[in-house]
Amino acid sequence: MLDWQIITHYFPFLVKGAIITLEISVISLVLGLVAGLAAALCILSTNPLLHWPARFYVWIIRSTPLLVQLFIIYFGLPQFGIGLSPFWSGVLALALNTGAYNAETIRGGILAVPKGQREASRSLGMSKALTMRRIILPQALRLIIPPLGNNFVILIKDTSLVSTITLVELTLTAQRLIGSTYKPFEMYLMAAVLYAILTTGASLLLRQVERRTTWGHV
Amino acid sequence: MIRLHNLRKSFGNNEVLKGINLEVDPSEVLVLIGPSGSGKSTLLRCINNLESPTGGEVTVDGEWVNRTDLKPRAFQKHINRVRTHMGMVFQHFNLFPHKTVLENILEAPTQVLHRNQEEITAEALELLDKVGLAEKKDSYPVQLSGGQQQRVAIARALAMRPSVMLFDEVTSALDPELVGEVLLVMESLAAEGMTMIVVTHEMGFAERVANRVVFMSEGQIVEEGVPKEIFSNPREERTKQFLADVLK
Ligand SMILES: Nc1ncnc2c1ncn2[C@@H]1O[C@H](COP(=O)(O)OP(=O)(O)O)[C@@H](O)[C@H]1O
Ligand SMILES: [Mg+2]
Repeated sequence: MLDWQIITHYFPFLVKGAIITLEISVISLVLGLVAGLAAALCILSTNPLLHWPARFYVWIIRSTPLLVQLFIIYFGLPQFGIGLSPFWSGVLALALNTGAYNAETIRGGILAVPKGQREASRSLGMSKALTMRRIILPQALRLIIPPLGNNFVILIKDTSLVSTITLVELTLTAQRLIGSTYKPFEMYLMAAVLYAILTTGASLLLRQVERRTTWGHV
Repeated sequence: MIRLHNLRKSFGNNEVLKGINLEVDPSEVLVLIGPSGSGKSTLLRCINNLESPTGGEVTVDGEWVNRTDLKPRAFQKHINRVRTHMGMVFQHFNLFPHKTVLENILEAPTQVLHRNQEEITAEALELLDKVGLAEKKDSYPVQLSGGQQQRVAIARALAMRPSVMLFDEVTSALDPELVGEVLLVMESLAAEGMTMIVVTHEMGFAERVANRVVFMSEGQIVEEGVPKEIFSNPREERTKQFLADVLK
């Protein structure tokens, strides 16, 4: 049987952990979007000095485990005098990681906008940058919201990995409480429920954004 | 007004325009006809540099369009400015689906020319009235018929106050019953003295509205003349063949 007394007593502690998880998720999400957009635009650029570094970034991130990336940043970088706190190491690793996946998603969305849109804009005298910002990206956004939402959900779940570098977020909070309560099932169950709330909340929020991009479609 | 001198365009080894010489006078309506694949679209797109010519010179309003003396960045600036003098209307409308009819029309005048919002809004509403769509200003493109979308596309191009309008088979994607309303708008534009190059298969329109008809085949101008001459008394065999095919 579930020990409800334990659950009601320790739930607030786990919520505290969940708030750290939420913080790290939101910051990584925003930075990861910026990184993803920048990398996508660089990959689409004809300038080789932008194209190839961005391609390399996406390739290296997608072909190595997040845990190893995290360890390189947290344990490896201090060797070169760059010591980041567990929180910022986590944010950096997660942002770079999700950014690479976002880059692929965003690039695909941009390419999926019909080429007539670009031609119409350019024929009106709009510059490449203006065309991208005002015409292509808003239409790409509509196409990439579902896959981006997927990336967000993965990001939130991946934050549990930063528990390995001593950041006391949701997973590590649960682990520590198990040490004193010997109730692993209750603790991990509460953590799971809280993760589910965070990921579902993110999905619902995105559906609202999606609804704003119907532009007359019913 | 428009001058093409020995215009050439190749895609890889495929030479699509083989030295086109053509002049269009102010207020002239030039209709360009020819079989599919003869290079009509490419010719139009070379005029506003949506395709960059591989040889020859394009001059519009006395300005050299395909300048080869500029670095890429300077050329982009130049071409963006030059394009504001040329309107283009496409077969598939290419309205911006995420913007309302009015926003579609305001986009370039406000973002490119930085014109006063109020002033250009009044002008845009006038243009919408002219193409018969005043009451659709807040609709999204997806809510309009093809004919309505194409009329908005014409208004969008006109809002830049171009000195030249380029039309590339603008009625080809429309249901037959919607063709007339678009041609009517183009006809009144011609009557107002707009300089126009029109690629079309609507021979009735060409006969009524064109000052001159140019027949193209395989990347070359085969024959040109006033509509009556071309349609009732073509000299070249290829023209006769083409007209027989489209008019039957
Ligand atoms: N972007 C392109 N890349 C390669 N070939 C092209 C391209 N655009 C047009 N062509 C070729 O150029 C020729 C002329 O095309 P086009 O100008 O569209 O003819 P039209 O408009 O008279 O039907 C065709 O053979 C077509 O396949
Ligand atoms: Mg064509």
